[in-house]
Order: sequence, then structure tokens, then C-alpha cells
Amino acid sequence: GDSWGIFTFLCAALCNLPALPALNCTEELGAGQSIQKTYDLTRYLEHQLRTLAGTYLNYLGPPFNEPDFNPPRLARAERVPSATVDLDLWRGLTDNARLAANYRAYSRLLCYLRALDGQAGTAELRHRLGHFCSSLQGLVLSIAGVMSSLGYPLPAGPAGPPAPPGAPVAPNDFLKKMDDFWLLKELQTWLWRSAKDFNRLKKKVPPAVVTLRLEA
Amino acid sequence: ESHIQYERVGADVTMKCGSMDWDAAVTWTANGTDIDESHLNGSYLILKNVDLTQSGQYSCYEGSSWHLKYQTYLRVGLPPKEPVLMCRSNSYPKGFYCSWHLPTPTYIPNSFNISVIHGTREMVCEKDTFPKNRCHIRYLQLFSTVKYKVTLTVTNALGKNFTTLTFDEFAIVKPDPPESVVAKPVPNNPRRLEVSWQNPSSWPDPESFPLKFFLRYRPLILDQWQHVELSDGTSHTITDAYAGKEYIIQVAAKDNDIGTWSDWSVAVHATPWTEEPKHLTTEAQVTETTSASTSSFMPPPTTKICDKGAVVGSGAVAVCWTAGLVLAAYGVLFI
Repeated sequence: GDSWGIFTFLCAALCNLPALPALNCTEELGAGQSIQKTYDLTRYLEHQLRTLAGTYLNYLGPPFNEPDFNPPRLARAERVPSATVDLDLWRGLTDNARLAANYRAYSRLLCYLRALDGQAGTAELRHRLGHFCSSLQGLVLSIAGVMSSLGYPLPAGPAGPPAPPGAPVAPNDFLKKMDDFWLLKELQTWLWRSAKDFNRLKKKVPPAVVTLRLEA
Repeated sequence: ESHIQYERVGADVTMKCGSMDWDAAVTWTANGTDIDESHLNGSYLILKNVDLTQSGQYSCYEGSSWHLKYQTYLRVGLPPKEPVLMCRSNSYPKGFYCSWHLPTPTYIPNSFNISVIHGTREMVCEKDTFPKNRCHIRYLQLFSTVKYKVTLTVTNALGKNFTTLTFDEFAIVKPDPPESVVAKPVPNNPRRLEVSWQNPSSWPDPESFPLKFFLRYRPLILDQWQHVELSDGTSHTITDAYAGKEYIIQVAAKDNDIGTWSDWSVAVHATPWTEEPKHLTTEAQVTETTSASTSSFMPPPTTKICDKGAVVGSGAVAVCWTAGLVLAAYGVLFI
């Protein structure tokens, strides 16, 4: 209905943002340091997500906030890009393919997260979601920066409307919550995967930055 | 023919002498020893409130002919309590293993059955030959959002029990401790110790899945550890060791991004280089000092050497002095 049209429009508008050429500063840093920054960003986001997910799942209520909650994957959840991959396939990815997969995934995840923003319960929750979306947007831009500095083209266009026009919005409240649950799960898994992706990229593009922290 | 029967601790057991009538005259033996008639009810043997010591071979002989009519092996035991199950990936991303044990013994044979379910797929956990209560699984996919559900069922003749573990791929990642930890003094540096180690050999791909390390060290005579976290490399130089003191050093490892820290490595001992006269071994000197100063902080031998003026150069004097001052300050603190 109307809400679906608005949703689609919003996504199309928001999803065009990552393609903006705000890349001057990252190009100067060089690929090595850009990769390090991107890696650091994924770690930061992963940490932020832990708190955010906890709060959001509590808002959804049981069973979504139960630690053992282990629902089967429904077909509709396939819209959210999955980080799951065959081990040998993952190892064999070219740098370009690796970066592109990350870029595409986060662009779409960002889109879905922003849709979440408008409907979340408390002002506190909406504020947190908003902050996280900004950071996630930063990650997408950072990945774009790395691709650009390595001479790779950005994957064609934004994700577009996340579902074909005929696909139904969640028909009931419970399924809508399931969608939210899987979105957060996939996002968390992608952040774990990205840390490994960028680790691999770090080794290939010198120089690696060594960090040493002394703790009493 | 021989039988075997399992009974629960505290149960009352009635043994029949095979096909003999109740009023037949029989003699029962337990492990070859005659059993007193007071335990008999006719030709039945009654054992009340059995305990573990009553396990053994029970035989029944016909009264006059002394023919063996019936024989059974009694095993007294317990049904299994809820087993303890642990799953861990020390070889990420290759796979993980699960190991289990019973919290209390059952005293009779037990069999274990393990099932691993990932989403809709049932996976096969290959049993290890050694140790026995362990099996391993290879990951088919990486970065999975679906949890693994492992159920262990233990069964024996007296009952069964089970336990279940549900976890995410990342949650169980815990490497083995670093290997070949070596600590050496640095020549002409009385406050330094050079520590090096290797990735645990069970970690299959440190290139793509790098480990970070946590090093802890303290002189034997103090209880408080010092810590250093290292995100790169497999060596580190300690630069603030107390001159002449024997140190204990350990290292732990963790995947850079996921999972938990390994257990601490085997501890290594080392003493920083000291400028000692050649006829006394450094070890003996240090052992003497260490045993003498267990209760209080005594001025270490190096300050005496500094006072005597037997130094190599001005740099060494400065180090000696600084070491002396630092140690004196700590000595005051600890009094």
C-alpha cells in the first residue's frame, strides 16, 4: 500500500548517498592506512552493535531477547545479504570481489536499518539507531575509499528497492519482528566477517600498522 | 551359562536359582565364599540395600549334588547424572571439537551418543580415538548466523541422561596456548628480558586469522603480575625487569577479533643479565638472593658491585644507580 511506496522511495533516496564522491581525504592517506581505518571501524561498529542489539531485542520482547533463541530461517529473510560463505570460496576471493561483497552488503544493511529507525519504540532507541546508522554510513564510505584508492570501480548503483515490487511487507507483527531479528543477526555476522576480510586485505597492502598497548 | 545383572545402589535384589523350585535346598556363594542361610528366602537369595562392595559373581549350587545351577555377575551402580559437555574451536576456521565427562562415576559401563544440528542439517561428529570422550566436526560454511545445537546423551543399564549446548560459530573460538615460549637475558642489559614464542600448532591459518597475545610477567618474589597486550608479532622485550631477580613469564593467545583468550602457556623462568664475576655462576647467586629475600626486600647484589666501582662504563653505572634507587623506593613501599 502507501507505506510500502514510501518505504521504497526512502530507500532509493537514502541508498544513493554512499555513491557521493566524498573521497578526497581517504585517497591521500593511501590504501594501507585506509584499510586499517576500515578495519578499526568494523571493530568499533561491532562493539556498538552489541549494546544496540541488546536494547532493540529487549524492545521486541521474548522470545527475541532470549539467548538461546534459535529460529529456523524463513524464505523471506533471504532479502538480507548473508555473510555465510564456503571456506575455500572465501579464501579465494580477489581483493576486488572481497571489497565489493562488503560494500554491497553494508549498503543494503544500512538501508534496512534506516527503515527500522522510523518505527522503533522509545526516543532513546531511535537516537541510538540513528547514531549507529551514521557510523555504518561511515563504514560504507570508508570501503568505497579503499576501493577507489586501489583502483577498483564501485559496484554498480545502489541496492535499489530492497524487494521486488510484488513482495509482501511482513503480514503480521511477529514476522515483522523476525525480520528485525535476522537483520541484526546478519549485521553482527557481517561485522565479524569484515574484520577477517580486512585482515586479509591488510596483509596484502603494506604498510601494516603495529599497535602496542601497555597495561599496568 | 553366565548372566550379568545391573542393580542400583540401595536397591533390594532377589536372585532366583535358575529353574529350581522355591523350596529346593541350595547353597549360594559370592565370589566363591558361602553365603549364610539368613540371606535366603527358600532358594532365593535376598540382598537388601545393596552397595558397591556387593558387586561380584554369585553362584547357586544344588544342595546335595553340588551341581552349579545358576551363575550371575552382579554389578551395582548408578544411573548417569547430567553429563558435562564442552565444545571449543581451537582450530578456527577448520572446525571444532566437543568433549564430555560424567560429573560422578556410575561404576557400570556407559555409552555416549552425540548429535550436532546446524539449522536443519544434522552433522556428523567424528569420534576421536584419543581421548575417548571427544569428537570433532569440520566447518562446511564460515560466518554462519545459524547456531549449532549439540546434544549429548549418556545411557547405561540403569537409566539415561542428556545435556544440550547451543552456540554461535564465533562464541566457542579459543586457541591453544602459545608454544615454545623462550625467555632470555639480553647481554649488557640488566633490566631486559627477551621473550619469544610461537603460534599454537593447532591454529591452522594465522595469516588470515591472526592471533594477538597477552604476556604477563613478575619476579618470583612478588605476587603482582605486569601485563602487555601485543597485537602483532611473536616476541617482546621486557625493559623494566628488576636487576638480578628471577622472573616467571607466561603468554596467552586470542583470535584478533572473536572468541576468548587461551589458557596461559607453560611458565618460563629467566633472570636478566647481571655483571657477575666469572667464577660464580649467575644462577647460584640469584638463587641465594631469592631465598634470602622472600620475606623482605633486600638490596640486591648489583648495587654492591656498583659501589665497588667494578663497572664497564658510565652507562652501566647509571643503570646500576637507577636500579638501586627504584629498588630502594619499592623496598620502602613494601615495608
